[in-house]
Order: sequence, then C-alpha cells, then structure tokens
Amino acid sequence: MNSEVLLRFGLAIVIIGLGTFAYWFINQRLLVRASHNIFTLFKKLPNKPVLVYFTTPDCAPCKTVQRPAIDRVSNLLGENLEIVEIDATQRPDLAKVWCVMSVPTTFVLDAHGEARYVNNGVARAEKLLEQIQTL
Amino acid sequence: MTTQILQKVDHSALKTNQIIIISLNVLAFILNLPILAALVALVMGIGSALKIPGFGFVYKNLLKPRGWMKPDVLDDNPEPHRFAQFLGFLFMTAGSISLFLGATVLGWSLVWLVVALAALNAFGGFCVGCAVYYWLVRFNLPGFTKNPPAGTFPGMKPGMGASG
Repeated sequence: MNSEVLLRFGLAIVIIGLGTFAYWFINQRLLVRASHNIFTLFKKLPNKPVLVYFTTPDCAPCKTVQRPAIDRVSNLLGENLEIVEIDATQRPDLAKVWCVMSVPTTFVLDAHGEARYVNNGVARAEKLLEQIQTL
Repeated sequence: MTTQILQKVDHSALKTNQIIIISLNVLAFILNLPILAALVALVMGIGSALKIPGFGFVYKNLLKPRGWMKPDVLDDNPEPHRFAQFLGFLFMTAGSISLFLGATVLGWSLVWLVVALAALNAFGGFCVGCAVYYWLVRFNLPGFTKNPPAGTFPGMKPGMGASG
C-alpha cells in the first residue's frame, strides 16, 4: 500500500468521521430540544421514565404496529412508565417544538426528563424495552 | 388531503443500493480510481432507465435469497426514489467527467456529495432526492404528481420501518 493510498484512506476516514459527528450532533440537538420541551407536557416531572408517542388518526402503521408495541410495553412495565400519546393533527404546536417530521415518532425520556432516545418510524416493543432498560 | 394509491416498495433493496454506492465511491476515492466512480454512475444510470435500484440486483440475487437481508416492504411511492437515483446519477456523471478532465477537487467533491446523501438516506431515513421530488410537485411540473404517504414528512421513510 503506497503512501498516497494511505493518505487518501486517512482523508476518507476524516470525511466520514466529520459526517458521522455532524449526524450525531444533530441527533443530540434534537434530544436536548426534546428535554427542554418536557414541560410542554408536564407541569411537574412524573419521576419515572416517559414514553412520548406522536401519532395521527390516518397513520396505519401507528394502529397496526406501534400501538400494539406500546400496549405491550405498558403491560410489562405498568406504573413504572408514563406514556404520553400526542395526536399531531390535534397538537401541531407540540409536533413542531418536538421537531417531529413523521409519525409514528417516539421519544424515550428518563426520570429526570432528559430525552435519551428518539425513534423515527415504528419502534418495536423489544427496542423500546431495551431503550427503557438502559435509563 | 387527497387519497392516492401507494405501491409496495422494498426499502431493503434501496438500502442495499445506497450502501453499495457509498462503498464503491469511497473505494474509488481511496484508490484514486475515477473509472470506478464512472462505473457507479453508469449503473445508477442503467437503474434509472430500467426504473429499478441500480445495484438492486445484489439484494435480489444474493442478499435476499440467502436471508442476509430481510425485505422491508412499505407502502410508498417508487417515483421519488427513482428521481433521487437519477439525481445521484447526474451528480456522479458530472463528478466522473470532472475527474477525467483533471478537475479532481470538483470531481471528488461531487462524488462525496453523493456519498453523503446516500448515507443520510441509508442510515438516517431521509431521502433528499425524494424531498426535492415532492417539492417540485408543488410547481405542477409534468411527471411530478405524487404526494408523500399520509403522515410522512416529504423525503422521510414511511413509518412502517421495523416490522417483522
């Protein structure tokens, strides 16, 4: 492997690294923004993990996949999890401040109201449980 | 909001296409092989002409039959994805021509732009070319007729992402 190839390889790594960092940074900003917006949902923190679920009435995957997944998580965790369901057509203001671009979108927040995960699109029960367990 | 008929679109085929485009372009850059970038452009062009993902044959003939990648079939519009691939083809063609003419900075910048957009689509679920398509629909341009699936932000992957 000659030095030019090594140099170009290094450059490629730097470019990919910068791109990955930019993506991570934007996601972190979204989570920070979500954390700041927790008080748009609660006056007082519920002191337990919160699952914020954005949906719309005409969202088919919300009904067929996301809702059953959330019901399963709710049955398993019971009172240990607060679930907030938001109809984005009824509350476009909330969808806007939470930067929700598609439904279903779910946010997982820890007991301190800090947003730790965001799932754009359907998140299966296993994935949600895994995310909640890491809090 | 008008009701439109959506088709079944296998997003795994699209993702495979994007990942191969990313891999080959990065390899072309590392090995300084403009011909490889031109080959990617050619395959994307053929895919656009045939209305299929250019490297979709890898998914169809190798990854899917062996179970290495599961189908991710969603109700979606295929047209914006075709348009996105065509845009990628144009950028890749311009990049390749630039490289062959000696404008290496411009050429590799265009190639990396395609890499970035393909990565955003493959890993972030946002298709910039599709968003451009839906944006052009607003201007009533001939051939641009589809609206995003209900409840989906223009360019974002429809929500049924994690079934199965």
